Amino acid sequence: MIRSVYVLGEQGNMLYSKDYAKSESKADLVEFLVNLTHFLRTVDLENKTEFMNVAISRIFFAQRDNFTFMFVADKADDATQIEEKMTQLVESFMRDYANLAIANQPLDGFDEKVDEIAVTMVKVAILGFAGVGKTTTLHLLRGETLPLVHDPTIGVSIKKLPEEVENANIVLWDLAGQSRFSILWAKMIANAQVVIIVTDSTLENVLRSKKLVTLVKDEVPDAKVIGIANKQDLPTALTPERVGQILGIPTYELVAIDISYRDRLIQIIRRAILEGKAEAKAA
Amino acid sequence: MSMLQPPYVGRHMPEATFVVHLDDFHGFLVKQRYPSTLTLNEKVLNLIFFEQQKDNKENLSLAEIEGFRIAIYSSPEFPKWMVCTILGAEEDFDLSREGLAGSGRLILTLMSEDEDAVDLEEIVKAGSILEKTSEEQKLADIFLTPSTALLLERMQSEGVEKAAKLSIWLKNQVQDEVDLREAMAPLMKSGVVKVELVGKTSEMVFLMKDVFGYRAPPVASIKKAAQILPNIVERYQDYVAAFFSPPPPSKGYNPTLPTTDPNSPILEDREKISRLLANSLKYRVLESLRGEPLSASEIALKTALPNSIVTKALWSLESDKVVIHFEEEGVWALLNNPRIESFLPEFVLPLVRKKVSEKEITPQVARRHLELLIQNYGE
Repeated sequence: MIRSVYVLGEQGNMLYSKDYAKSESKADLVEFLVNLTHFLRTVDLENKTEFMNVAISRIFFAQRDNFTFMFVADKADDATQIEEKMTQLVESFMRDYANLAIANQPLDGFDEKVDEIAVTMVKVAILGFAGVGKTTTLHLLRGETLPLVHDPTIGVSIKKLPEEVENANIVLWDLAGQSRFSILWAKMIANAQVVIIVTDSTLENVLRSKKLVTLVKDEVPDAKVIGIANKQDLPTALTPERVGQILGIPTYELVAIDISYRDRLIQIIRRAILEGKAEAKAA
Repeated sequence: MSMLQPPYVGRHMPEATFVVHLDDFHGFLVKQRYPSTLTLNEKVLNLIFFEQQKDNKENLSLAEIEGFRIAIYSSPEFPKWMVCTILGAEEDFDLSREGLAGSGRLILTLMSEDEDAVDLEEIVKAGSILEKTSEEQKLADIFLTPSTALLLERMQSEGVEKAAKLSIWLKNQVQDEVDLREAMAPLMKSGVVKVELVGKTSEMVFLMKDVFGYRAPPVASIKKAAQILPNIVERYQDYVAAFFSPPPPSKGYNPTLPTTDPNSPILEDREKISRLLANSLKYRVLESLRGEPLSASEIALKTALPNSIVTKALWSLESDKVVIHFEEEGVWALLNNPRIESFLPEFVLPLVRKKVSEKEITPQVARRHLELLIQNYGE
C-alpha cells in the first residue's frame, strides 16, 4: 500500500506531504527524500517512474519540470499498479496545481485528489467484548455463511472485504474479545482509519464498552469511531439511540445474523471513510 | 573484544527459525523462515504475539503453542517484530538463552538494514550471534539523547547533586515534560553516574566517570599496514596526517582544544561518533578494522555479516570520514579511530570539598562519594 505521498519543489522544499501510516523514522526519511530530490536533478528520468528499495520500504519517484513526486510503498506492492497511480498523481498535479505551487498559493482540493488516487487500503478494526458478535459481523460483511456455534477468536482474525469501497481495499481486523486478549487491543488498532465498537445492546455490556471508546480515542485519535447496537432481535436490547447516547458515538442498529443488514452496514462504513477524509481535510 | 562467537556451546540446531512482523495493515507476515518448508497458521502466529506481549519486559520468552516449544525473541528497538525458534524436544531453553537472544538480536538488526540480504539459513547453521552492547556502545548511548548529554554536562560541573534538584534543573533547561529516570538511564547503565539513597530522605546522584568521545589516530592499523601492506603505507600515513594536521591555514582535527560553543564542530562530531558506535553493525565493521586494513570480503568473513551489509556500512563510514578506500588494492583502512572512553573524574574532589564547606551536602554524602570512587578505581 502507499504509506506516504510527497511532492517537492525546485529547491527540495516540501510542497505537500501526507502519511497514511505512521512510521518511526519519519525525520530521517524526509531528510533522505530531500537529498534524493537534489540528486535527481542531475539525472534525466525521461518522465518515467522509477523505484528504489530503502530498508523495509520501496520508494517510487518521478519528476516533471521542477517538481519531484514520491510515494513510500511496500516491497510487496505491485509495482505496475503503483506506477499507474504515480502517473495519475503527476498528471493531476501538473494540470491543476503546478501553477498554484509556482505562485506559492495553497493547493486547494489537491488533498482530496491525493486520497482518491493513493488510498489503496483502509483498515477497519472491529472491537468489543466477548460474545457480542464481532466475528458474526465480519462474516456478514464478507457475505459468508454464518457460523452456528460460538468459536472464540484468538488474537485477531484479518480478512478482506470482497469488494472495494471508494476504490480502496477494506481490511477488517476482527479482534478477540476475551479479556485475556485485552493487552493486544491497543497494538492491534494502530493505524486503523475506522473502528467499529460492537455491543450486544444490553445495558451492562454497553456500559463496559465505554472503556473501549476511551481506548480508541487515546490510541487512534484520527480514526472514525462508530458503535453497533447488535442483537436488536432480543427482547432485552436497548435502542440504538440509547446505546449511542451512552457510548457518545454515532451508533447503528444491527442483527448480525440477518443478511439483509449487510448493505446497510457497508454503507455505514463507506460514510465513515468519507467523513474521515473530510475531517482530515478540515484539520 | 569480538562480538562473533563460535556456535553457541551446548546448543543444538533448532528445528526451525522464522521471523514474524505484525504489519498494521496486513497483519502477521512471516518475513523469513528456515527451513523453507515450514508452515504456520494464523492461530500459531496470534498465540506467539500474545505470549510475547504478555511478558513484554523479557526479551526472550518460551511458549508452548500447539505442541511446539517456541522461543520468542523481541526487542523494544524493533516493535512488532519477533524472531521465533522452534526448539527440539531435548534442547534446554535455559542453557540456550544467550545464544537464542544473540541470534535474535542479530537477525532483527540485519532485517532493519536490508530485509532481503538476510540469509537465515546461513545464520542459523553458523550459529552467529550479536552480543549485548559493549561498554563503548553503552557510553555512546549517552550522547544520543540531548537531555542525557545535558545531564552529563551538569554533573561534570556539580560532581554530586540531589536527584530532586537535578530534576528541577533539567525541567527548566528543556522547558518540556521530561522524565528524569529515562534521561538518566544511559548514564546509569554505563556506570557514569550512580544514584543512591543517602540517609533517609535524599536521593543523591554521584558522578563516577568522566567521558570523552573523540577520533584517535589509527596507530595499530598503520603499524600493521607497514608489515603486511608496504605498498599502501606511505599513502595511508599521508591521508591520516592530512586529517589530523594538514598544512596551515587548515586546522585539522584536534579535540583537546577547549571549547565552550555548543555548536562547535567538535561537539557535533562527538554526536556523530556516538551514533556510529551505537549502531551495532557499523560498530562491528569498525572494530574489525581497528587492528589492520582489510578488504570488504575479509571484513565479511571476520564479522560474519553478509557482504551487502558490510559494503553499506563501509560506504557510510567513508562518508563520515572514518575509513578510506584504497581502490586499486581493494583495501579499506581507518582514517581515524572513533572512541568513547571513560576516565576517573579527579576534578570532582574540589567540588565535593566546596559543597561540604558550604553545607550544600552533608559529610556523609561526601564520604559515600569517596567510597564509591575508591570501589570503582581502587586497587
